[in-house]
Amino acid sequence: MIKHKRTTIPILLFIGPAVLVLTIVALFPIMYALFCSFWNWHLHRSTLREFIAFTNYINLFRDVRFLKSLGLTFLFTFLTVGGTIVFGFLLALLVWKPFRGKNLALALMTIPMIMTPVVSALIWKVFLFEANVGLINWLLSLFGIRGPAWIATSPWAFVSIVIVNIWFMTPFVLLIIEAALSGLPKETLEAAAIDGAGYWKRIHYIVLPMLKGTILFILIFRITIDYRTFDIIYTLTGGGPAFDTQLLSLWVYNVALRTFQIGYANAGATVMMVAVGLICFAILVVATRERRERWLSK
Amino acid sequence: MKSISTQFHRRLMIRFSKLARNVAIALAIAIALFPFFWVVLASFKNHHDLMKVPPVLLFRPTLENYQVVTQEGFLHFFNNSAIVTLGSVALSIALGVPAAFGLSRIPFRANRFVMLLVLSVRFMPYIVFALPLFLIMANLGLVGTRGGVLFVYIIINLPIIIWIMRAFFDDVPRELDEAAYLDGASRARVFFQVVLPCALPGVSTITILSLIFAWNEYLFALILSGRDAQTLTVGLTRFLGGMETSVRWGTLSAWAVAIVAPVVLMSLFVNKHLRRGFTSDIG
Repeated sequence: MIKHKRTTIPILLFIGPAVLVLTIVALFPIMYALFCSFWNWHLHRSTLREFIAFTNYINLFRDVRFLKSLGLTFLFTFLTVGGTIVFGFLLALLVWKPFRGKNLALALMTIPMIMTPVVSALIWKVFLFEANVGLINWLLSLFGIRGPAWIATSPWAFVSIVIVNIWFMTPFVLLIIEAALSGLPKETLEAAAIDGAGYWKRIHYIVLPMLKGTILFILIFRITIDYRTFDIIYTLTGGGPAFDTQLLSLWVYNVALRTFQIGYANAGATVMMVAVGLICFAILVVATRERRERWLSK
Repeated sequence: MKSISTQFHRRLMIRFSKLARNVAIALAIAIALFPFFWVVLASFKNHHDLMKVPPVLLFRPTLENYQVVTQEGFLHFFNNSAIVTLGSVALSIALGVPAAFGLSRIPFRANRFVMLLVLSVRFMPYIVFALPLFLIMANLGLVGTRGGVLFVYIIINLPIIIWIMRAFFDDVPRELDEAAYLDGASRARVFFQVVLPCALPGVSTITILSLIFAWNEYLFALILSGRDAQTLTVGLTRFLGGMETSVRWGTLSAWAVAIVAPVVLMSLFVNKHLRRGFTSDIG
């Protein structure tokens, strides 16, 4: 290995600009959000601005609507992360063995993830979930079931956003697990098969343990991304009916841009950020040190 | 006799499970594709055919819905989307690829801190950035400008580019750089002429990925694009707001197809690159 004497200048030249821009566009706004959260700050009435220390935070935990958003967000994240991992894993097993047209099949299965979320949500809303002429209720009517008004009534609105998000994100899990499966050592699996281990036994005792690192990676990805879901829900339900699908991102958006309480909204956003940070931290702590190392510094 | 029958039975089972597998795969593809397929179909239907229950597959196609592309400000939104997307992707690549090289090749103490910063930005709820950015940009008069939105999209693109490109650079054998250094090449030369050419597949992967993410973006555009810089996604939902009546379903579909088709087509053509992008950071 060649030792370079000077590394300061190359670091500044190569990494400096990116770090500087990230600081301006990401770090500084977070600081600013923290700052705002200690103020009673109305978006359009600048005369009423006053420093109120932690009052916003105290109010948050008395705010039924905020607590409901928090609970709904956890439930939504739990359901969609679980759903996508189960479906993604089963699909990956399905396409594990090579077959003719596998690449095309994978390409087509990737499409939900590629499509503009706003557009997908709109299609689901207008053509599939629509109460009277929607396809889902038409299909149900073939079996003599009268389908609900999906988007407009509880709990179906919540069910709808979960369904659409699982549809949207399953390909992500599929692709990652598919790649991980094709990287598994064939010899081990063949040896187990010869020893008489059945299909599901091989999956349970050999494949799943080998995929642990991958599943950790998927968990972090899926949790953080579902936790912040905005576009799909905003388009599908707008948070309704009766705030039953108002997840945290929508809560922050509505408080900031509908009631203009910017300070309060920023306090909510801060709590949202800290909560997901703690969840990720907990997952990384539970994961073994070796995996954590590999993750942070490949 | 018995062995023959069990053998036959086993063969039958294999054939059956193969069939079941193919059916399951076909079903999965159908579910994945259906919304896109259906909106393309709907975009060619007239008002009457759109409202039919049960829905019709066979109908006389019409192009009338696609008139929306020439009106209702569609081109304005399209331009905004194109400029913001291309600009921010170009800027993020210019910033991110050298940074990824630096993180892969130059050992320094704050290396981990930078990676942690990149990772946290990638996983942060975007609404946390969006509000303060709105306040800051409003003070600077940047809300509603394409430049402002373009710059903010760096939040989405830059972390992914740095993260994925670093993995690609790590895969380029270090012996190559060392040989070049021995020949007296400078760092810049090693980067541009030795390592970067080897990591070109990575560059196309991140380009495609970030183009898609930026094109599909909604939250930042909704909050920061004001009146003049609205992108296609914002335009679509605004357009929907006033006229969410069945009369407009056709127009809506044409608009939706116009947004989604470029992305879907691109993803099909370069699917292997794309998949590599999604899977390259498993580690």
